[in-house]
Amino acid sequence: MDFGFSEENEAFRAEIRAFIAENVSPEIVQEMHDGTQGAGIGPLTKDLIHKIGQRGWIGMSWPEEYGGRDADIIDQYIFEEELARARVPLNLGNFIEQAPAIMNAGTEAQKQYFLPRLVRGDVTFALGYTEPSGGTDLASLKTRAVADGDDFVINGQKVFTTRAESSSHIYLMARTDPEAPKHRGISIFLVPMDTPGITVRPLWTLPGGRTNEVFLEDVRVPKESMLGAENEGWNIGASALNLGRAGARRYCIYVSPFEDLLKYLQTDDLGRDIARDPVVRDKVAELYCEAQVARLFTMRSLSMVRRGQNPPYEISSEKIWGPEFQVRTTEAASQILGPYHQLWEGEAAPNGGSFPRQYVNAMVSTFGHGSTQVMRTAIARRGLGLPRE
Amino acid sequence: MDVLLNEDEEMIRDGVRRFFDAECSPDRVRGIEDGGARTDPELWRQLAELGWLGLALPSVYGGGEAPFTQLTVLFEEAGRALAPVPLHPHVVTALALAEAVGRGECGPLAATLVSEACVGDSLLTWAWSERLPGMGPETIELSATADGNGWRLNGHKGMVEAFEIAGHCLVAARTQTGGSANGGLTLLLVAPNAPGVSAVARRTLAGDFQSEVHFDNVYVDGDGLVGRVDEGWDLARPMLQRAMVLNCAMIVGATRRAAERAFDYAKERHAFGHPIGSFQAIQHTCADMITWVDGAELLTREAAWHIAQGSDAGLAAAAAKAFTNERCQAVLREANQIHGGYAQVREYDQQLWYRRAAAWSMRLGTSMEHRRAVAQALEL
Ligand SMILES: Cc1cc2nc3c(=O)[nH]c(=O)nc-3n(C[C@H](O)[C@H](O)[C@H](O)COP(=O)(O)OP(=O)(O)OC[C@H]3O[C@@H](n4cnc5c(N)ncnc54)[C@H](O)[C@@H]3O)c2cc1C
Repeated sequence: MDFGFSEENEAFRAEIRAFIAENVSPEIVQEMHDGTQGAGIGPLTKDLIHKIGQRGWIGMSWPEEYGGRDADIIDQYIFEEELARARVPLNLGNFIEQAPAIMNAGTEAQKQYFLPRLVRGDVTFALGYTEPSGGTDLASLKTRAVADGDDFVINGQKVFTTRAESSSHIYLMARTDPEAPKHRGISIFLVPMDTPGITVRPLWTLPGGRTNEVFLEDVRVPKESMLGAENEGWNIGASALNLGRAGARRYCIYVSPFEDLLKYLQTDDLGRDIARDPVVRDKVAELYCEAQVARLFTMRSLSMVRRGQNPPYEISSEKIWGPEFQVRTTEAASQILGPYHQLWEGEAAPNGGSFPRQYVNAMVSTFGHGSTQVMRTAIARRGLGLPRE
Repeated sequence: MDVLLNEDEEMIRDGVRRFFDAECSPDRVRGIEDGGARTDPELWRQLAELGWLGLALPSVYGGGEAPFTQLTVLFEEAGRALAPVPLHPHVVTALALAEAVGRGECGPLAATLVSEACVGDSLLTWAWSERLPGMGPETIELSATADGNGWRLNGHKGMVEAFEIAGHCLVAARTQTGGSANGGLTLLLVAPNAPGVSAVARRTLAGDFQSEVHFDNVYVDGDGLVGRVDEGWDLARPMLQRAMVLNCAMIVGATRRAAERAFDYAKERHAFGHPIGSFQAIQHTCADMITWVDGAELLTREAAWHIAQGSDAGLAAAAAKAFTNERCQAVLREANQIHGGYAQVREYDQQLWYRRAAAWSMRLGTSMEHRRAVAQALEL
């Protein structure tokens, strides 16, 4: 057991920190924030993605031929951790989840086209998984892709398609064989968002961010836009999803409300007075212990992946513990800060009103990307070998 | 960074588990408890022979000089097997003596005891807590007043493990009052049969014994001094951290076994025509159980790693103990729930793990106390 980072790792961390200090200005952070509110990716943000890409940090643990640098995944973890700490939203380019799928399943032409562009931030994907019929039982999706000569023609609807308004492409799951069992008739398409027949309608979320409905009406795409083999889309998507659940990026999302709360109680005048209460101190210490568990679960998943193991249940544990911890933290914060916690804006609002935003946002983690219920079932069945009914 | 067990640690785990699987059946554990014995001498002899009593002690005294992380794995396995021997007080005390010897802060007695500890010739224990449930230095009131070349002890210790069978007991005493709580403590070696010592052993929930020990003008000579006078906290602090982490390791080991038994039971036991393990409510409970015990294990191992690195483990050990106490109790409770009525029956084995792991979680500081330490370390 080795819970420490090597000198090389620490040197890399210092390099990232220096980069952030030099390149992530308050203006960029503001622009990225506006980006989540529907403004799309602005020029400063795009420039930042370019700079990160130039240094080979986007696809760090990818092979060099695809623009990565074959780095240790620990460096990737450090990279994600440091950017998340600087509150740079790392999912800007979806390079973490979609690129590995393209690397594994893509044709040579797709790899040549997409991977360098993902690294440079020129291509960004919106994720077209969820449909109105349900996100947890994803395989029941109804959007149809019908072969027509050299093309497919796609009809259907997606929902909660975040960043559809600003992404260059959509990573689209559609049914190509309605007769096959539901997991076997699905394919993935990499579709430019400017393809005729795609309409995007905003859905505004509680914290103030934007997601969308995407309507697909006779969207005609060439057969080459399919990723992997026809009707194999489920497996490609599932492996991308499983890996997408781990990593520092998500753990940082889970613990960032706690870190903000702790910092507020440590440094703000009002916060320090509140933190004199032994009951508050007990609660905050409890949350601290639980945050360490979230961090350690991520380190464990990473250790396993790095050893070439496919974690049978550990990533699911991480995906339950972290999100539920995040929700517990925001609820605890609400009772620690009391009336101040409801203030959405204004001088008196702690941290400029970020706490109530985190409060309403936290539970997205508990059902998104594999709900905690489904994760528990997966642990029990896959990890512990408990029987199906 | 690789938080999984390395090859050496896996070897220790597998070797120790194989040994206990063969030698330490639940019946044997039960036999020691039912007979009211303080230890299993044969098992103790075997552990000594295998070199496990001195696993992390310096090689010059016959120890294995293994890193603390390996010792932690050994304790996970001892907890898993419910080994009915006083491994915890013995090793914790021996490590503290070895540290004092290494610093050159004790007489020849301590060095001799470390050598004997490795081969199991002399059983060591320690006495810390008194009236309050807490472990902080402020709880120590037992007084030691200078008398010629030695000290006179007066006062009592509340919970001492294996006291009557120990050769020596390392006692925390107050040699100075009035200063800070950390100051004025001194660690002294006392023989349990010294004149003026009286002890009453009491059964615990775990089925073992804790002694209440009274010291009535007990004389300890200069050779009994371990560490520096009035600065015993210097040695006691890392000793308590090691004790907490090894205690967590035992809790985690036993709790994991209790959970695994429940998972197995859920596969076999039927209700309403189905294995109960096929019901989503039971499945989700099991998922939480493995998640919680894994969390406790990782916190414990990270604290052990800090100790092995020689870095301060105060925060990590407190976090591990606070979490492990509560989450492992929750796992044990759910494991019982899955066993239904059978978890309540003495004849059935599940309770062996439940009672012990639960009792261990009540030792070496409460969750509240350790969270207080966490809050302090966070500079709240
Ligand atoms: C802000 C936001 C952004 C999002 N971004 C994207 C995106 O970019 N792309 C995308 O594709 N999707 C996105 N999603 C969608 C998200 O992935 C889905 O909301 C999620 O998968 C849950 O699906 P659902 O909302 O249809 O709920 P449902 O699937 O209807 O689930 C409802 C409840 O039923 C429970 N449940 C379902 N099945 C079981 C079972 N077998 N056992 C026990 N309980 C069960 C679930 O756990 C949940 O609690 C986003 C959602 C939000 C809110």
